[in-house]
Amino acid sequence: MSYKLPIPAKGTHTQPFWDGTKAGQLMLPRCTDCNRVHWYPRFICPFCHSSDLEWIQASGEGTIHTYAVQHMAFGAWAKEAPYVTAYIDLKEGDRMLTVLRGVDPLRPQDIKIGAAVTVEFEPADDDTHIPFWRLVGE
Amino acid sequence: MPGKLSRAAAIVGAAEANEIGFLKQPVTSLQLHIEAIKNLSEQTGVPIAKIEGVFSTGWSSELCEHLGIRPKYIDTTAVGGCSFEMHVHHAMAAIHAGIIDIAVVSHGENGHSAQKIGGRGIANYGLGGGATSPGFEMTAAYGIGGASSNYAHAMVRHMHRYGTTTEDFAHIAKVTRDWATLNPRAAMYSKEKHPFGGPITVEQVESSRMITWPMTILHCCMVADHGGAVMLTSPKIAAGLNTAPVWVAGAGESMGHSNMLEMPDFTATSACHSADAAYTMAGMGPSEMELALIYDSFTITAAITAEMLGLAPRGQGHLLWKEGHAAPGGRLPINTNGGGLSFNHSGMYGMPLLIEAYRQLSGTAEDGVHGDKGKQTNARTCVVNGTGGALSTTGTLVLVSDE
Repeated sequence: MSYKLPIPAKGTHTQPFWDGTKAGQLMLPRCTDCNRVHWYPRFICPFCHSSDLEWIQASGEGTIHTYAVQHMAFGAWAKEAPYVTAYIDLKEGDRMLTVLRGVDPLRPQDIKIGAAVTVEFEPADDDTHIPFWRLVGE
Repeated sequence: MPGKLSRAAAIVGAAEANEIGFLKQPVTSLQLHIEAIKNLSEQTGVPIAKIEGVFSTGWSSELCEHLGIRPKYIDTTAVGGCSFEMHVHHAMAAIHAGIIDIAVVSHGENGHSAQKIGGRGIANYGLGGGATSPGFEMTAAYGIGGASSNYAHAMVRHMHRYGTTTEDFAHIAKVTRDWATLNPRAAMYSKEKHPFGGPITVEQVESSRMITWPMTILHCCMVADHGGAVMLTSPKIAAGLNTAPVWVAGAGESMGHSNMLEMPDFTATSACHSADAAYTMAGMGPSEMELALIYDSFTITAAITAEMLGLAPRGQGHLLWKEGHAAPGGRLPINTNGGGLSFNHSGMYGMPLLIEAYRQLSGTAEDGVHGDKGKQTNARTCVVNGTGGALSTTGTLVLVSDE
């Protein structure tokens, strides 16, 4: 594959998430006791401290919580600058970081906090498809 | 005669991770920590949410974030295998002092599993410290690099929520530079000292090179060389020294998160909690502070921290600078050394805050070496706040001069 950007090393308890990305599904951890979704994946529910966690398939819908434009970047990302990073409020709860697609990094004022975004997955290597979020309609 | 600390605290439970030994299924250090703490909670009947102090070899911030708790005492002493006995000692002192009532000393180390999952370059949440964790795993793909790449998100959220502008924050850089021009030891003291030194205007801040929109380079601290140290003694020893004592009236610490992904409110830090503890200990409040030394990694850090310390209402921290209150001659001087923005910032700026607070409160800020005319304030009280990580952790002190 031609993916040239950093690919995350994987932990021991996050395989359902990465399997989901390959199937085009956003999988999120949820506590079966308090029913709340948390992100990133834990060994324990950060809200009620139950150890009974499950994976659910999420809608892949969210909104922009905040964003910034990276003009100075490092490593492989340096060639991509400027690009827009954003924290996404997930429809199911909690928040995810992304590089936002469908926006103009040179017109940051046009990007609206609260705007609807949807997830997409880019193949990076045989084990990894990386989720990115895109402005709805772009 | 037993010492004052003797029997000040008891060990009330001890537990291990679910499985230990030579595990067939590799585990991470983080998993071992969390399982042990969960089992300890069940053994003692003390809920995890009640833990007030976390003691661990370098892991404490990561553990608290994973558990979703906000401790009042954080210790990461890591000096080898004896660290855990020292943690008990430190926890005893904290309990004796009344800072906390419930402490957890935690250990998790995948010495065997690391040989399997470490060797393949897999994030094992154990080797390499905080850089390898599920939080890092889920953020590593997205081009976040230096501190500015994170902090800028807080400025954008502040602008969205409160209607603030980059120009509002630019005043912080301008006023802080004004202080630096009174301090010969400041890196940006003058054009002679540094090509970009000397006074700056708000317009220059706005039009300088973009680092992470909306922050130009003059919204960002420098990365320079710095070394410093402070000494604390008992009152008895202090009385016999030739130097003027500056008293630690209050102290507090807290944290909100480790990874910015976990920051609940991008316009607030845990400084509201650490400051509350410090003010309470001191028996004083923000209105009694005559000086503030605030870690200004970025202009937005200074603005939000001023709000958290109660020096300004939420959303109005920047007005302290914009309206001149924080400037030389103002009612509440802030960052009188020139700050991380214009004095010096080596990476961890907490020490220069302490040194400048001492100089101002001991009346030595203009001793001929450390400041030009106008740098010495009349302040007798000072709130000092350090912020660590990505607006993650905070330590607050209330310092007062000798009467």
